[in-house]
Amino acid sequence: MVKAGIIKFLGTNCEQDTKRACEFFGWDTEYIWQNDVINKSYDVIFLPGGFSYGDHISSGRIAKLTPAVKSLPIGKTLIVGICNGFQILTEAKLLSGALTYNENIHFISKVADLEFMGETIKIPIAHQQGNYTGKGNEEVILRYKNNENGSDEKIAGIYDRKNKIIGMMPHPERAIFEELGLTDGRKIFEFIKNEI
Amino acid sequence: MKKFNATVKVKLKPTIKDIKALTLEKAVNNLLEVQNLKCRVGNIYSLEFEAEDKVQAEKIVKTISDEILSNSVIEEYEITW
Repeated sequence: MVKAGIIKFLGTNCEQDTKRACEFFGWDTEYIWQNDVINKSYDVIFLPGGFSYGDHISSGRIAKLTPAVKSLPIGKTLIVGICNGFQILTEAKLLSGALTYNENIHFISKVADLEFMGETIKIPIAHQQGNYTGKGNEEVILRYKNNENGSDEKIAGIYDRKNKIIGMMPHPERAIFEELGLTDGRKIFEFIKNEI
Repeated sequence: MKKFNATVKVKLKPTIKDIKALTLEKAVNNLLEVQNLKCRVGNIYSLEFEAEDKVQAEKIVKTISDEILSNSVIEEYEITW
């Protein structure tokens, strides 16, 4: 059984959705508090969405200094940053580039069409700093069809295979349950499972 | 220990599109009838702290600026004492 850890930061608000999504796939899931050093073994560790430290200074800037982020088992365990989690990973320089203000400066909350593994999927996005710039050697795994935020090369998600780190702005955990109208997030969770 | 004061100004690198500045330029050009305003937007941080000496104080301000106040991928900063 897949064992998943989800880091909770001050201001995280997507940890329950992420946990429910993991449990939908039957994964054994638990929370990790931001001030705890990660010394347990996981198959995948999520940095979920939200507003860590109120997005003060810049999104993800302060959370990158927490003991949980500093003790991430880089290269050993698959790390997945979603939205604010992606921002934290870039701020920590665990993924290259940076997420700057959306081109239209607005907070964008909508269902986005995305290119994923050669098909178009629908996943919610909800962010103000999702305008990605400065990609390094990572593989692009998700692209916006309509580039809502102005990202370089329409990038919505990247994957550093060598260090096993994924970062994405869209929220696949919000597109799991039929009751909520969208289920394409399952495809991303299945991808995550295959990469463990 | 001595008291030190430092000011850190942070702004986006010239190569990074400054969305807030573009919005401001557009508003000023349209609403205040100022022609061709160019600006960059940033943040100013006033720091007051204690250190053994100036060398240690400089090290402290550099650490704070590098770790929290700026992101070297997109921003640059200058320190004044």
